[in-house]
Amino acid sequence: MRPALAVFAVAAVAQWLLPLSGIWQHERVISRGTLLRIECAAPDPYDPLRGRYLAVRPAQSTVSQPEGFPRGGDPVSVWATLEVGDAGLARIKSVSLEPVSGPTVMPLTARWTGTTNGTDVISLEWPFDRFYLNERLAPGADKLVAERRRDGKQTVAEVRLLDGRAVLTDILLDGVSVRELVKQGAK
Amino acid sequence: MGAGGNVTADGARTLRERYAAEPQGGLAQLVVGAVGALLIGTGLIAVLAYNWDDFPRWVRIGLALGPLAVTQAVSWWVLGRGETAKPWQREAAAVVQTLAVGAAITLVSQIYNLPGKWTDLVFWWCVVSVPLAWVLRSEAVAIAYLIGIAVWTIAQASERTSYSDAIASGAIGIADVRPWFPLLLAGVLPLWPGLDLRERPAPGSRLVLAASALLGLLAVAAYATVRPAHMFPSFTGFPWLAMLSAAALLLFPLDRGGIAEPLARKPQVLLGGGALVVMALIGTFEGPARDFVMGVGVTASLGWCWLLLAVVVAFAILAFRQGRFAVLAVAGLALVPLLAAPLSADDASGWPVAITYSLVLLATAIALIALEFLGRQGAARIGAALIALLVILRMADADVSLLVKGLAFIVIGSGFLAFNAFVTRRRRVVASGGSPA
Repeated sequence: MRPALAVFAVAAVAQWLLPLSGIWQHERVISRGTLLRIECAAPDPYDPLRGRYLAVRPAQSTVSQPEGFPRGGDPVSVWATLEVGDAGLARIKSVSLEPVSGPTVMPLTARWTGTTNGTDVISLEWPFDRFYLNERLAPGADKLVAERRRDGKQTVAEVRLLDGRAVLTDILLDGVSVRELVKQGAK
Repeated sequence: MGAGGNVTADGARTLRERYAAEPQGGLAQLVVGAVGALLIGTGLIAVLAYNWDDFPRWVRIGLALGPLAVTQAVSWWVLGRGETAKPWQREAAAVVQTLAVGAAITLVSQIYNLPGKWTDLVFWWCVVSVPLAWVLRSEAVAIAYLIGIAVWTIAQASERTSYSDAIASGAIGIADVRPWFPLLLAGVLPLWPGLDLRERPAPGSRLVLAASALLGLLAVAAYATVRPAHMFPSFTGFPWLAMLSAAALLLFPLDRGGIAEPLARKPQVLLGGGALVVMALIGTFEGPARDFVMGVGVTASLGWCWLLLAVVVAFAILAFRQGRFAVLAVAGLALVPLLAAPLSADDASGWPVAITYSLVLLATAIALIALEFLGRQGAARIGAALIALLVILRMADADVSLLVKGLAFIVIGSGFLAFNAFVTRRRRVVASGGSPA
């Protein structure tokens, strides 16, 4: 085999490995992961390469700081244990600076943000922040989410969690996928 | 003997082999091939994106990966043809496959709603696509790669401004671009100069290569020097490292053929020298001059600073041995803060350095003019423009009436135009073999 063909073959394999490794990792989480539903907000911004998406911002964006959390505002890795409440929505039960394991443990990034009512508070960055939608559907979805929010109804992010890796699988309004609702509205 | 009777048949064959002519229409075919491939690739992505929500996940994955398989097969076929493959075929195959790789990566990222910055996707896209530029000798893919690595490096440096060293590499995961950018830039070496060390980029590609190198090096300089502060990050050491980066680009070694080429075909000289001159002009003001000198002390502890300095010194020695005195004169502008630093107290005024910068710029301009008149490679018009700029800057901040300033500007402008006409006439005389005198 000529050297050029050998180099091309290696590059071609790498070009397959990159998307396939992502597919394998995330399919594993979707098929075996724990299902969690988390209340969120979801406005509609834009990514230059990937197009329109709903920016998913979980409602629980701050918690009391765990013991020993450094002040100063720099981001720190933490491990949050979630629990499912009465309404079926997951909320953070505890935050640890040391790695912990469990089916509902999610690694997050946190920063010290200040003191509220005498309690030190940290803000959280969740490991999912976008739900991609077709260019045609995204503006409608944005409008729908805003309308439901005005009516006091919850927007819920459906997430699968496995071995600390989270995959956002859907955004639900009244238990129905926002994608389906927008498609129905467009008909 | 050849037809003209001056060259032997063997000599003619040797010349034809060494200086093979580009087939007529080659460039046009190449451009049309690249544009056609670009349209097909982007059109394909748009079609897939439009139908997005009507397909189940596995169909979407198939649609994301299908074009990759097809374009890889086409590239394999083109490669298999070896030297019989036309340049436009190689270019088109490489461009379409590169777009298919990008489509696969971004569409998979969409399907699984992956977080993260789009510039991270650009990094991986570049890394797995650049071999196509090597094996298919594609200038378009190389250009895209150079733009991509510059964008990624700037994004990392930009992110870095907010975090300390430990945080940047830990919770945030910002790459250390000091080793990464040179490594990524070296990714074009298998194409230019190639394994036989004879391949040279086309003029347009040279410009992109030089611009990517300069922007990337400036981003690395920012990354290396930034210190996070409460409200605004501090960049005290940046100007000095930026000057060294520009000097390294300006002095980049060339072979005899490269040195003999006109300035317009050496964008690394234009961009590197231009950046240095702009910074030196800024340094003729008191405040920036003081900051430039302070920056030398700040960067003295940085390994990147010493590495750059070593590269600049090595390139400068080579340039001296090759007689490239004009670029050496301009590169000398980077030395002013270094030489001034040991002589300046921490709280010293910046005026001595600012005045020194004005004088060094004036000397550089005179050197550029003199070198051309002495029959060496110089740049008389650039030298004259530099003197005019210096006078304008000093007149602008001088405490004299608007009338005096106006008259001075008219005199400078007239002098500059007259000098320009003189140099043009002189070059014409020299080119026609006459005496410049």
